Amino acid sequence: MSMEKHYVRDIPRRKFIELSMKGGLLIAATPALMTQLISCRNGARSAPGLDMDKEILAGIIAKALEKGGDFADVYLENRISRQIVMEESKFKSGLYGISQGAGVRVVSGNKTGYAYTDEITEEKLIRAAEVASYVATNGSRSEPVNISEATRPSYITVEQPLGEIADEKRIEVIARADQAAKDYDQRIKMTMVDYYDEVRSRVIVNSEGIYLRDELPLLFFIVQAMSDNGKTRHMARERLSNHSGFEMFENVTPETIAENAAREAVVMLAAGDAPAGIMDVVMQNGWGGVLVHEAVGHPLEADNIAKGIGAFTGKMSQKVATDCFTMVDDGTLPNFRGTVNFDDEGTPAQRNVLIENGVLKGFMTDILSARQLSMERTGNGRRESFRYIPIPRMTNTFIETGKDNPEDILASTKKGIYVQSLSGGSVNPITGVFNFTCREAYLIENGKKTKPVKGATLIGSCMDVISNIDAVGNDLAFGPGICGKGQAAEVTAGQPTVRIRGINVGGTKA
Amino acid sequence: MNYIDLTEKLVKKCLRIGADAAEVYLETTRNLSVQVLKAEIETIEEASSQGVGFRVFVDNKMGFSHCNDFTDRALEDTISRAVAFAKLSSPDENNVLTDDMGITKIDELYDPGIVSVPMDNKIKMALELESLALGVEGITKSSGAGYGEGESEIFIGNSNGIMKSYKSSGCYLGVYVVAEKGNQKNTGGETCSRVFFSDLMSIEEIAERATKKALELLDPVMIETQKAAIIFDPAVARSLLGGVITAINGERVLQGASFLKDYLNKQFASPLLTLIDDGTRIKSLGSSPFDGEGVPTKRNVLVENGVLKSFIYNTKAAARAGVVSTGNASRSGFTALPGIGVHNVSLATGNHSQSEIIAGTAKGLFLKEVTGYGIDAVSGNFSGGASGLWIVNGEIIHPVKGVTIAGRAFEILNGIDMMGNDIDLNRRFAAPAFRVAEMQIGGK
Repeated sequence: MSMEKHYVRDIPRRKFIELSMKGGLLIAATPALMTQLISCRNGARSAPGLDMDKEILAGIIAKALEKGGDFADVYLENRISRQIVMEESKFKSGLYGISQGAGVRVVSGNKTGYAYTDEITEEKLIRAAEVASYVATNGSRSEPVNISEATRPSYITVEQPLGEIADEKRIEVIARADQAAKDYDQRIKMTMVDYYDEVRSRVIVNSEGIYLRDELPLLFFIVQAMSDNGKTRHMARERLSNHSGFEMFENVTPETIAENAAREAVVMLAAGDAPAGIMDVVMQNGWGGVLVHEAVGHPLEADNIAKGIGAFTGKMSQKVATDCFTMVDDGTLPNFRGTVNFDDEGTPAQRNVLIENGVLKGFMTDILSARQLSMERTGNGRRESFRYIPIPRMTNTFIETGKDNPEDILASTKKGIYVQSLSGGSVNPITGVFNFTCREAYLIENGKKTKPVKGATLIGSCMDVISNIDAVGNDLAFGPGICGKGQAAEVTAGQPTVRIRGINVGGTKA
Repeated sequence: MNYIDLTEKLVKKCLRIGADAAEVYLETTRNLSVQVLKAEIETIEEASSQGVGFRVFVDNKMGFSHCNDFTDRALEDTISRAVAFAKLSSPDENNVLTDDMGITKIDELYDPGIVSVPMDNKIKMALELESLALGVEGITKSSGAGYGEGESEIFIGNSNGIMKSYKSSGCYLGVYVVAEKGNQKNTGGETCSRVFFSDLMSIEEIAERATKKALELLDPVMIETQKAAIIFDPAVARSLLGGVITAINGERVLQGASFLKDYLNKQFASPLLTLIDDGTRIKSLGSSPFDGEGVPTKRNVLVENGVLKSFIYNTKAAARAGVVSTGNASRSGFTALPGIGVHNVSLATGNHSQSEIIAGTAKGLFLKEVTGYGIDAVSGNFSGGASGLWIVNGEIIHPVKGVTIAGRAFEILNGIDMMGNDIDLNRRFAAPAFRVAEMQIGGK
């Protein structure tokens, strides 16, 4: 049990493999049927296991609320995944899985009861409803629930459905990436390429009467390149991930991903010792947004606020950051890895401004925390799979673009660290104390990026960091990651180039 | 259902469908958890599930698939998927399965009594734990208390004729609290995990540990950037030694991705460092009669007096290295391929009590919390965020928060100059307190 650590990282390999094999069920399906199952064109109905009659679902909701309770929902899920792993230029393994199951939740006051089953049958769901209703003690509630289909906008387009892609094409993009990394420099001694795709189909039904069904395709491609010059080694990593079809690899080629990883691996062979102590940090645009994801995003998730212990408790509408700091969570960015259409409770995704020009404007809520805090639902109730209850989670979270020219930000920084990419980090959402680790970083000397330095940890507290950002660039960019908060969620983090005055750097040189 | 029969039947089915060799890993599990907050139930979750993973080889190529629908049709189609997917892989002569028929006898890995403790007692225990922790002076808020339990039964069969199974259980009880003082806020938590329900620590002891952690770092004083001794509390030993474990993963060594790849049978650390992995310890959550692919578990000395004695292997990596498996195939369930991992790691104890180590330190940090990824197993660099207690002339003078510590693995590991004599072997990563003579601290 770990209740206080939230982390996000740029998908370490082990975690990736774990996540790609999330538990479940390989349903009966011939290869021909499989093509249909994976197809997601025009919202075509797939995953027949989710075809449960609406009246039966209404009956399960009624059963869940039989002993009382304020809210109940049923979540059905089917996830078809493929993973192909190449290591040392060999296709190490092919993995295939279908995970299917359903969960029933009952909310009564502040209490939540939850039970799940990996067999989607009326009998099993009724039993799950009985278990989940353990928390309800406020007497019976008998009004019948009418379930009707709800509609939500979609922000995910697919040109080349994953189900229509031959496995040979998957193999090809992996081999191209491997070759490109090796061709980049002779000091690249090994590459690891992970290819993963999935289609997650879900049905959401609740006691407010909604019925929603959709499917989300997800592609995920990671290249790791290891350099070795006989004295030192560096493992570099680059990722690409979208909710989209296979056209993702036309927009950004496997070679581009591989060359970025190889470039980092070679550059970092020359890395010297990082300095230690408090200094100014310039963070390059892109995945560096993980800093605010950790430091500010998690503390703005409403569950800890509802508990009265979050770092931002009681600070709504107050000035918490510098004027140039605006932070947004937006689940509607087209095809982004963190985009959801609607969250796993059925609430439509939306653009949520969390901090605007330094003033705290909003928290990210799920249904439970929104009710506890008397706030709007923001479309952030997400779950890793049917094995987990939904909780407030980020989607695509970023520092809004600013006015400064990125070159000017660097040029006006006399001395410090230039962080080009980060591995990831973690935060204690109650105290707001965070840390994150540099993967590619340089010294700043007299306004110029100079020598690369070894991976150092940067630490601080959320309130300090957002008060100490004094320059925000006009070059907003994003990177994909996995966020962990007891359960995993796919997210992006983004930012323009920013400067933070005074962060503690964990180097080896005084 | 007789799962032994089913497992054996499925191995045969894999061969009939086209595999040259096959392994079936079947698992049944039951889980229950309760979270309480502010004296009432926050969540209750319960589920039981089952599933099976198929690892098949066709012309020395490997494919894998998994399912949890145990109807004949579903199982057969799942196996077909693995066989078809194997054909995408590259052939590798090291794709072999174990033929070791042995099973290590380990007592007391399963507590049949957990399930018979009434649900209401378990809820009451969590509620009382929270209330006890909140009653401690200086503790202002609860972040929740929880109780959880699980049990599983694992069946492994393969086409070399192996058929093994075992049952295990586990339970935990924990609490997280907040201490506030003026504008300061500090959290502390403690979770106790055991195989047997009756072995759980008392709620008094858990509450005491959790609240002490929240309170002991209040009123910190920032220190200068400097080099000083670092004393690792047993609770944070993993932050340093976890990277060593990753670096002796036999597959990573073969790939050249380890800072210890050239150090087998060589001195790389202080003579005070002896590191053991023991998959056979009784009543231990990390123990099992066989590993994730059926190889009997053992007690392995990994590092002895600073000399690297063994890398750790599963069957495939061992075949490639030309050695035998060390019984370290790890598996995170029926949906996963075997990886490489440890069972119960412990450091050999030394001669000094914790208070002697503190008293013998002229200037140093008694490390209580570390953040970050620890030692990078590829490059051997270490950097992290740190909190703890500042020691001057052998005495703790104030807490420290918000500093960084960093160093190179070889320098840190060779710098271990005092090893404690007190160890709690209930931890899966057990260590006494130990001191590193000098590391870089980043402060003001």
